[in-house]
Amino acid sequence: MAPGPFGIDPTIWAALRLLIAVVLALFLILNGALLLIYLERKVQAAMQDRVGPYHVGPWGLLQTFADALKLIAKEDFRAGQTDAAFFIAAPALVFTPMLASLVVLPFGPSIVGADLNIGLLYLATLGSMGVLGIVIAGWASNNKYSLVGGLRSAAQLISYEVPGILSLVTAVLVTGSLSMVKITETQPGPFTNIFIIPLAFATYFIAALAETNRTPFDLPEAESELVAGYLTEYSGMRWGTMLALTEYGNVTVVCGIMATLWFGGWNGSGIDSGPITGPLLGLLWFTLKTYAFILVFMWVRATLPRLRIDQLMTFCWKVLIPLTLLNLAVTATLLIAFPDTRVPVAIANWLLLGAFLVGIPMLQERRLRRIRERLRAATRHAVAAG
Amino acid sequence: MLDVIEPILFGVLALAIVGAAAGVVLADRVTTSALLMAFTFLNMAGMFVLLGAETIAAFQVLIYVGAITVLILYGVMFTPQAPRAYGLFFQKQTPAGALIAALAGLPVMVIAFAFRDTANIPPRGGDLVPLASSIFTDFAFPFEVASVLLLAAMVGAIVLVKREERGSGSAGPNDTTSPEHSRAKPVIGRARE
Repeated sequence: MAPGPFGIDPTIWAALRLLIAVVLALFLILNGALLLIYLERKVQAAMQDRVGPYHVGPWGLLQTFADALKLIAKEDFRAGQTDAAFFIAAPALVFTPMLASLVVLPFGPSIVGADLNIGLLYLATLGSMGVLGIVIAGWASNNKYSLVGGLRSAAQLISYEVPGILSLVTAVLVTGSLSMVKITETQPGPFTNIFIIPLAFATYFIAALAETNRTPFDLPEAESELVAGYLTEYSGMRWGTMLALTEYGNVTVVCGIMATLWFGGWNGSGIDSGPITGPLLGLLWFTLKTYAFILVFMWVRATLPRLRIDQLMTFCWKVLIPLTLLNLAVTATLLIAFPDTRVPVAIANWLLLGAFLVGIPMLQERRLRRIRERLRAATRHAVAAG
Repeated sequence: MLDVIEPILFGVLALAIVGAAAGVVLADRVTTSALLMAFTFLNMAGMFVLLGAETIAAFQVLIYVGAITVLILYGVMFTPQAPRAYGLFFQKQTPAGALIAALAGLPVMVIAFAFRDTANIPPRGGDLVPLASSIFTDFAFPFEVASVLLLAAMVGAIVLVKREERGSGSAGPNDTTSPEHSRAKPVIGRARE
């Protein structure tokens, strides 16, 4: 066991380190959620030509603090017919995996909770555990809308996990490690993984949107059709934990994964500058990259309408999964055929990405044309008959 | 220090596994059983971590907690929930159950205590590379057999579902993908109105 700093006994230091890590993670999640909600409201307001929150504090900065205080001060309320134990357990079941995934995120050189050699697998595992809490929440609420929301969420999350993990595997093939720290260290230069496997990034981005329940994949909590789905019966801080903390925490985690796997994580100028400034600059780079993705998520939310459930499933099973499987097979074959260079992989990936971007609108158009023709033929037939 | 922590962790995990597993059988409701089963699987993963097999632990949680338990819950939600009807079925056979458990448990305990002094085997399998290379070289044939078996099960499930659909003669109302359904009912029906 490594000796602790300041001459602390190693066994005490191990426990102390754990405590500090958990407190830091909670601090990060709580403040991150406050900041991200404020950011989301301001960004959407800017995109929709509104002002957004501006009353509380300078530029409305304290608005989310006020909202959080309101949530905490709310009555701990539970509808009479809900299932007490499950109803209370569900927010914890959703929140805990998200909190645990912060352990392996590499925030900076030597700023990482634990450098597991299966880091990425660990993250995928925790990502799949959140579904359980959502399904339980939907069931325990004893409410048809919540149940449908929970079931939709289970179907959606299990389906989109497959292309998400397949994209991650493609990235792992290229970097050759599952450890988040090693993955970061393999991309020091300006040519990070995004130039080698852009298609894997595109498919992971889509799957990440679906796995975090963000628009256009926010069917489980669709306000207009499901009155917020599995969240209907929740209020106060339970609602706050499930929606605000967990959703924004998950967004931060998947954006951190994207920044690490495809954009070099903490790598940037000046990370070798010293024992103190190096890690801090690395932290800055990682944060900037992560928040850039979060801003893109908000941009997507302000831009795209919600999908229908059958469109969502069709897109996953008929487009994304075959595409990611093909990408994985092509990448693996090329990596074995040309073990010294990544150029063939990059060329194949860019070509596939081009085919994806051009092919999807064409397929969609053909499908629409067929549906319209069928409708027209049916109308003609009906008019001729009646 | 580690020699003290590890037995304590083992004890906690073992108690949790046995307790939760008993709860799965004794619980009144299917949902409780399903959640307790997820809890058992999580503790099993903890056991694998103690053995130094983190990869297996991660796959255990990924597959059993993240997929299988969710699918079981998915199925449970589509079935009517009669309180206690499920629990009573199992709780009637307590003496017979205890007898069978004792009969099965005795040899297990004897075997377990026989391994007491040979526990100093270095942990293997925590790293992904030896695991993967042994699967694809030494155990390639069993691995392929298992995959073929799973594939056959999947094809069988799809065939069963398809046959049922043809027998009842109607697909779901939202099935716009298959051509014959969308041609038959909804479109013409709306046009005649």
